[in-house]
Amino acid sequence: MFGIRRLLTVFTLLCVVSPAFGADTPAEPSTYGKALSDAELTPISELLASPEDFVGKTVKVEGRILGVCEMRGCWIEIASDEEFESIRFKVEDGEMVFPVEAKGRLATAEGTFEKIELDLDQTRKMKQHECEEKGEPFDPETVTEAAVIYRIAGQGAVVR
Amino acid sequence: MRHSESRGRRTIRWRHWNRSLHRDVGYFVLGLTVIYAVSGVAVNHTRDWNPNYRFFRQVETFAPIVPGDRAATVAAVVDALELPPPVDAFRHRPDQVTLFYEGWSVEADLSAGRAVIERPRRRPVLYAFNRLHLNRDRGLWTWVADLYALLLLFMPLSGLFILRGKNGFAGRGKWLVSLGIVLPLGYWLLR
Repeated sequence: MFGIRRLLTVFTLLCVVSPAFGADTPAEPSTYGKALSDAELTPISELLASPEDFVGKTVKVEGRILGVCEMRGCWIEIASDEEFESIRFKVEDGEMVFPVEAKGRLATAEGTFEKIELDLDQTRKMKQHECEEKGEPFDPETVTEAAVIYRIAGQGAVVR
Repeated sequence: MRHSESRGRRTIRWRHWNRSLHRDVGYFVLGLTVIYAVSGVAVNHTRDWNPNYRFFRQVETFAPIVPGDRAATVAAVVDALELPPPVDAFRHRPDQVTLFYEGWSVEADLSAGRAVIERPRRRPVLYAFNRLHLNRDRGLWTWVADLYALLLLFMPLSGLFILRGKNGFAGRGKWLVSLGIVLPLGYWLLR
């Protein structure tokens, strides 16, 4: 009987400290996916100023993380070096998982710059998904134009 | 007669080992099964809730601010909300600014005079369960998860041969096994 009690105590203690299991230590740099290359950084403002020049190319960018996919950690939004601009760094679900705590940290990220042309229906679905993630209401009638998205298909990143 | 006795002993010995293994493997996989089952239910409902984090969001209001340059805008929001100096800040629009702090952030809409202070917190226990279940760490845990999957496969298979008679596989067992196969198969064909 004493043995079972002791086991239960140990189990309870493990449950209490379990948040520390495998947890990212936000203060330390965390690596995701492939190791970064030695390539030069490309300012995000440069990418967004002439996106067609970079489509299909591997780019390495750096910036403050403005947001993280809350549900799956499958993207981070990286601030540009210019105000009012940012770019999404998207990874395959489960390939890399960015913790919500990464918001506000600095990311160096590398991947393929890609262009996605959506039709109106796809644009509405994307906007609906974004609203669902933020817990905001969505009215499909407010979306009247098909969107063109530029983003980075992620290969690797370091968050510090 | 002697031949039949020997075969009977072998059957009894085989059933004895099967039952012992079923029992001990069952004890061993209990902890892992709790983790995978609890996390399985949790991540099944990600449309309805976030199984890893809780977000503490506090809404504050302030008198609308006329946007200036970046530094002036940040200073005005910090002053209006009586906040400490942020680690960094970003403007999405001239009148929309995010302030970053260690572990929390503030999204302020200057025109509306409204700010949301957001503090994400990991769900204790469940965060760890989900991380193990979804094998976020890869590496060694992949092997543990594979071993668990094999042991989980062993459990019902060995369970088929524990009892004999009307409660064994040849009795009610075959009907329940069939039901367990028809359920996913039927769903897949009719979906």
